[in-house]
Amino acid sequence: MDKFFLVVSTLCFFGGFVYAVNGLRAGRHHDSRANLLVMAFGFLFLSATLYLRGQMHHRCPITSLQEVLIFLSWSMVLLYFILGKSFRLSLLGVFIAPLVLVFQLFALAGFFLEGAPETTSEHTDKMDGWLELHASVSLVSFGSLALAGVAGLMFLVQDRQLKRRQLKALFYNLPPIRYLTIAVIRLIVIGVILLTVGIISAFLMENVPAPLHQGLSMLAWLAYIALLVLYATKRIGATKLSQGAMGLFLLPVLILLVL
Amino acid sequence: MNILCLGVNHESAPVEVRERMAFAHKHLAESLHEIQAIEAIDEVVVLSTCNRVEIYAVAEKLEHGFDRLKEYLDRHFEMQVGELVDFYKLHNESAARHLFSVAGGLDSMVLGETEIFGQVKQAYADSQKAGATARMLNKLFQQAFRAGKLIRSSTELTRGATSVGSVAVDLAEKIFGDLTSCRVMLIGAGDMSRRTAQSLHSRGAKSIIVSNRSYDHAVELAKQMDGKAVHFDNWSDSLDEVDIIVSSTAAPHHVIHAEMISSAMPRRGRQPLFVIDIAVPRDVDPAVGDIENVYLYDIDALEGIAAGTRNDRKKQVAFCEQVLDQFIEERGIEALVPSSGGRPPQTLESTRKPDMDSGSTEALPES
Repeated sequence: MDKFFLVVSTLCFFGGFVYAVNGLRAGRHHDSRANLLVMAFGFLFLSATLYLRGQMHHRCPITSLQEVLIFLSWSMVLLYFILGKSFRLSLLGVFIAPLVLVFQLFALAGFFLEGAPETTSEHTDKMDGWLELHASVSLVSFGSLALAGVAGLMFLVQDRQLKRRQLKALFYNLPPIRYLTIAVIRLIVIGVILLTVGIISAFLMENVPAPLHQGLSMLAWLAYIALLVLYATKRIGATKLSQGAMGLFLLPVLILLVL
Repeated sequence: MNILCLGVNHESAPVEVRERMAFAHKHLAESLHEIQAIEAIDEVVVLSTCNRVEIYAVAEKLEHGFDRLKEYLDRHFEMQVGELVDFYKLHNESAARHLFSVAGGLDSMVLGETEIFGQVKQAYADSQKAGATARMLNKLFQQAFRAGKLIRSSTELTRGATSVGSVAVDLAEKIFGDLTSCRVMLIGAGDMSRRTAQSLHSRGAKSIIVSNRSYDHAVELAKQMDGKAVHFDNWSDSLDEVDIIVSSTAAPHHVIHAEMISSAMPRRGRQPLFVIDIAVPRDVDPAVGDIENVYLYDIDALEGIAAGTRNDRKKQVAFCEQVLDQFIEERGIEALVPSSGGRPPQTLESTRKPDMDSGSTEALPES
């Protein structure tokens, strides 16, 4: 059933993405409510997938790369619902959908090719509270940093349209660049705060993570802090901040790959 | 009963005629009562704007109703005998469709402008207040408001800006969002820059600095906009304080150089800077546009965007017509207005302009 829910959720995000892109390409009015509804359904099925897998493992469902990708998608969509409206970024969903789609397709491919990892008594016996905290908070922080990258991409798209004076349908649907800059900063700040909690909890785990994993986490933390400091001290502007937010997301991706 | 529409607009009559026929708002209630008192007329709404004067009325006999309305207008506006006014006369379905087009901005001089929607609402409210409407016009106008909203929300007819000033404001809003915290500097106090600044001011931009070769002129304009004037030699000192620069001097060379802006950007926290150059020859070095977080638009770019919008709106007309067709089909025109069983009046002499209400087969000419 969990795989079925994941497939339905993936289809929802695919449908939402196609609907929004078609609307934008046709230059028609973009009905963000319809898009939001599709995203909400996708999120519900994603939550159901995670719930079922959590029940199966009797712990936070992040026991494999596939589950990590699903959890990351879930945290991104959750943050979008919580923060998207307050940042006036209704179109953020259109930009998130493809990223979530890619993550979920990878997860699905893994499930179907390798078979989903089943729970064992070992998982429950060895459950470590600090590990649970470390993994879940770190993944939500990656979700926030991924959203910062997406908001950065939206900034760069809008900046390019303004610079080149190409005012297409997307221009009218994207938020003002000042709002996008604020969104990038806030999402990085949220991501860094959560990452800090994740890193501290890693030191308190029974089995401390591998040095490469820890090293990459520290590097990501330092890099994002440096980006914020450079912007706050006016050494870089919003364009470089956005480019940085996009480029630095490579580090969380690397961390996930070395898991 | 029949619904009648008798009127002139920017396509059928020159401004000399329209201005003579405009109903003064303070005497509108009186005029509505006079029209309603005509024995052939039951209900009436008068829509009188800069670009149109239209009377929507309900009458039992079509031809008789049009004749009485025409007589009233001749009398009210003291038309000379033999004076020709090219009225259009529409009834029932075509009158309803015309009103829906008007409410949706499809019949406006600036295609897709939204002010007309408020004017139609006001005209209806005035008539309602004067007790000049009843079941038929109430129903018709309620549907017209729905049709107008539908056109605005489901098409791109109202998207974008069609004048240099409004393009500048649109762009400013896409850069800064809310303009209330934006600071504007005018370099040169010409008519064009004044109008652009007024557009920005009307959207909330509060702090306005004016610099002009004639300091007195700068002071005068600054006073009009609750801003401050600075001497022309010192305008660059204010670069750190502003978000938007509107430049329109008569200088034969560049007034704003890339080095000036490059050096000012770190001092102003690398916040976005919107530079509007409406001078010919240009005041701003084009290299300014290459600086990070600086957005430079000259007069050609602004005009190009406005022309593009006008063109896009024209392309949207066919789609809007489809939306209207679907709107009418879904509701059924019979539910909105009486069926057009009667033949249109045959006694009309002059011909209407062929481009008026092209979709209507019931448009009636009038001398």
